[in-house]
Amino acid sequence: MSEVDTTGEPVQGAAGGGAAARQTRPLLEVDDVVMRFGGVTALDHVSFAVNEGEILGLIGPNGAGKTTCFNVMTGVFRPTTGQVRLNGRPLVSRSRHQITRLGIARTFQNIRLFPEMTALENVLVGTDARHRTSVPGALLRLPRHRREERAGRAKAHELLDFMGIGSTANQLARNLPYGDQRRLEIARALATEPALLCLDEPAAGFNPAEKEELLELIRRIRDRGQTVLLIEHDMRLVMGVTDRIVVLEFGRKIADAVPAEVRSDPKVVAAYLGVPDDAA
Amino acid sequence: MNFHFLFSNIGDLTVTGLSQGAIYALIALGYTLVYGLLKLINFAHSEVFMMGTFGALIAWNLTGLHENDPTPSLPMMVVYLLVGLVGAMVWSGVTALTVEFVAYRPLRRRNAPRLVFLITAIGASVAISEAVGVITSRNQYGMPDLFKTTNLATIGNVHITNVDLGVVVAAVVMMVVLDQFINRTRLGRGIRAVAQDPDTAALMGINKNRVIVLTFALGGVMAGAAALLYNLKIGVTRADIGFLLGIKAFTAAVLGGIGNLRGALLGGLALGLVENYGSALFGTSWRDVVAFVVLVVILMFRPTGLLGESLGKARA
Amino acid sequence: MRALREAEQNVNVRVRRAWLVVPVALSAVVAMSACAEQNGGSSASGKCDSKIAFFGARTGPNANLGINIYNGVKLAVDQYNAKHKDCKVTLESKDSQGDEKQAPGLAQQLVQDQKVVGVVGPAFSGESEAADGIFDQGGLPLISASATNPSLSQKGWKVFHRMLGNDNAQGPAAATYLKDTVKAKKVFVIDDTTAYGKGLSDVVKQSLGSVVAGSDTVQPKQTDFQATVAKVKSSKADAIFYGGYYAEAGPFVKQLRAANVKATFVSDDGVKDEGFVKGAGNAAAEGSVVTCPCIPGDEAKGTFFADYKKAFGKEPGTYGPEAFDSANVFLDGIAAGKTARKDMLSFIDSYDKDGVTKHIKFDKTGEIAKSEIVIWSYKVSGGEIVKDQEIKATS
Repeated sequence: MSEVDTTGEPVQGAAGGGAAARQTRPLLEVDDVVMRFGGVTALDHVSFAVNEGEILGLIGPNGAGKTTCFNVMTGVFRPTTGQVRLNGRPLVSRSRHQITRLGIARTFQNIRLFPEMTALENVLVGTDARHRTSVPGALLRLPRHRREERAGRAKAHELLDFMGIGSTANQLARNLPYGDQRRLEIARALATEPALLCLDEPAAGFNPAEKEELLELIRRIRDRGQTVLLIEHDMRLVMGVTDRIVVLEFGRKIADAVPAEVRSDPKVVAAYLGVPDDAA
Repeated sequence: MNFHFLFSNIGDLTVTGLSQGAIYALIALGYTLVYGLLKLINFAHSEVFMMGTFGALIAWNLTGLHENDPTPSLPMMVVYLLVGLVGAMVWSGVTALTVEFVAYRPLRRRNAPRLVFLITAIGASVAISEAVGVITSRNQYGMPDLFKTTNLATIGNVHITNVDLGVVVAAVVMMVVLDQFINRTRLGRGIRAVAQDPDTAALMGINKNRVIVLTFALGGVMAGAAALLYNLKIGVTRADIGFLLGIKAFTAAVLGGIGNLRGALLGGLALGLVENYGSALFGTSWRDVVAFVVLVVILMFRPTGLLGESLGKARA
Repeated sequence: MRALREAEQNVNVRVRRAWLVVPVALSAVVAMSACAEQNGGSSASGKCDSKIAFFGARTGPNANLGINIYNGVKLAVDQYNAKHKDCKVTLESKDSQGDEKQAPGLAQQLVQDQKVVGVVGPAFSGESEAADGIFDQGGLPLISASATNPSLSQKGWKVFHRMLGNDNAQGPAAATYLKDTVKAKKVFVIDDTTAYGKGLSDVVKQSLGSVVAGSDTVQPKQTDFQATVAKVKSSKADAIFYGGYYAEAGPFVKQLRAANVKATFVSDDGVKDEGFVKGAGNAAAEGSVVTCPCIPGDEAKGTFFADYKKAFGKEPGTYGPEAFDSANVFLDGIAAGKTARKDMLSFIDSYDKDGVTKHIKFDKTGEIAKSEIVIWSYKVSGGEIVKDQEIKATS
């Protein structure tokens, strides 16, 4: 919460800019979520929805509460009040692995791979979330277990290829170059077959050419049928790929609209003005 | 120092040292698995092993085999080996899980500090050992002879008995199976993922508690196997045998690099050999002195043990 | 000091004759009135609440020996109480688990209870070393029915007595047995590093002289004896002497026989227990010999054997008869009105009477008189430890 150079008082009240037309079904609903840490309010009555099949951008200056929002959605934090629903099912107070199995997967702002596993194994850990063999079944190596194991491997290879890092399958994750580690994180998240894929600043540290590639990749992920929630700092990147954008500032939602509208929203401009895109 | 004795019997000392070390190694696995996963030194593991020795005995008694019965026929021997193995593994496994459910899980839920876990572990160990001591009146129980110890082969002046060979082979097979399990299967991957990063593992859909239970069960089952081999080799059990063997096995785990499965095997075998050579050279009363001096020296040069730490690095 | 005690003692012993001898009668009257005072005047708090205590392992890996002793003491107390229904003696029991570390604390508890006038125990030599000094300071007389380390009587503890020959007697007897009966040419000597095991092994080594082919130590609670077995094997000894207790001897013999070592196994009274056979298994234990300065139950005089069997449903175990004798010394003292520790001590020091195991008479150091020591050998046969022969010391 150390944001500097924000002019004007924070905007009160609900979403500015008018809610985008919602023809499609909401996949994820964040419903009036408040998250307090001690005396600090990180999320202040935040509500928004992610619709099925869209790419939603979640933006805001540093410390606006974007990652906190991710953490509440994925069960890392339990909100002080409010509810999060996936396909209408409440997520609050479910454990993290259950939420993952219900269909949310994420990547991390700071890369968090399993460093001592190969790239392939990292992805396999993701596919394991969808395995249905029981522990005894796995111990006894029943045919179903073997079938699932084989299918998991095939899928993991396919995802690595999809992310363009198929050749790194047998390298330890910690030995991969930075960009490949980011891609591997996405592959691992996709392996859990999420309905909603949450990417936390996936382009951090990328050069423009790599960012361009990433944009293309995100579109292709959406085309595979995944809904994508994208936390991003880089306004240009968000504008280029998202269908709709939610803007947070000081833990409050200040905008929720299509990119063009958000770009011209005075509150958003005020929040961002003078703050370079990549200020960290 | 009796160099003559050491060198003229080096072969036999090696064989018996390896078989003792193999038992250390199997027990060491339990320490290393739990440590690798939770950074917890599960002192109660020594009692998990002790319970296994009784588990095998109870299983034999229930199926009609008693201490001074004549050795059974070959097919019956195989049956009784399996009966003893299952009995030991079940008792050990149940003990390990009970400790996890009763002692550790409530602490984890409350995010207890590490010191609390440590003292709980020691407490659980003492409680189990004392309870069994009271129940058994601290008597010692002899095992039935499943087979006669015989010399399988004599190479030069090295004698290899069926017991020593069996113990080493069985222990190595168990280790290989476990190693494959941890490195090649989904459940093993889950264990490694939680060991490397428990939070991320949970976000990737891994049920951490289930992984922990599985790990305790694996450690327990391995201790059960060790208990059966111990029964076959030593032939006697008591409520207080866990303590000394537990310390030795823990030492073996540290020696090989705690958290490292292959390290446990290496550490166990190395400790068994060092003990045997040491007692041959200086006299049996120096055995533990030699063993621990060697440990300290090795840790001075390799602070993380022979093969280094971390269950996550089990591929190393 | 000792002379004074004897003088006091004589007054009591000669009470009956006092009727005849006038000058002595006077002092007898004094003595009897003192007695009467204790008997009548304060019967509730005086003589009739006296306690004697058992001190030794009733649980723990070597508990069986302690239990035998406890049973012997209990039989004596029960018999006494049956005869003295109006003035019973309470048996106090301290379970030391044979653990030297626990012994001092338990000894302190007994010393503080002034009603305790005598202790049968401590059972083992190690715990005796740890506890006897405390008993000595408290002036609480003790008779051990089993602790055989010779040094115990050499520490100047006035309260110390034992009902059996020490290892200086047992050691040479074991050596005699090894040389004359086993006819061993090479003996491998092992001890368990305890006060008892090491002390006895040292005496045996000394007595055997050049026949000793090698030696090694094992440790209490050890279960894996491979290294020692290898040493025995390579020494090509035809007999082994093991100084220690049965908890370790059992698995040791089992591993010894598994390694195909056929040397005759000779050990001590610490191994003379069914726990040894249980640990080793009948087959491995068969033919093992133990020596003991204790007599077989059925060699005890009087009705002891039958009484014990009736009371506990089994034959008396090792030291049962000696414990019975030890307790009876105290009980005789209580019957004679020696309910103060000081009086009890002088009573014991001048005791001179037949027990069920031997004629009981202690020397100045608290040892049983040399001429009264008996050593027996016992043999494992068919899973039982049975009496073999009395070993007549040659030295």
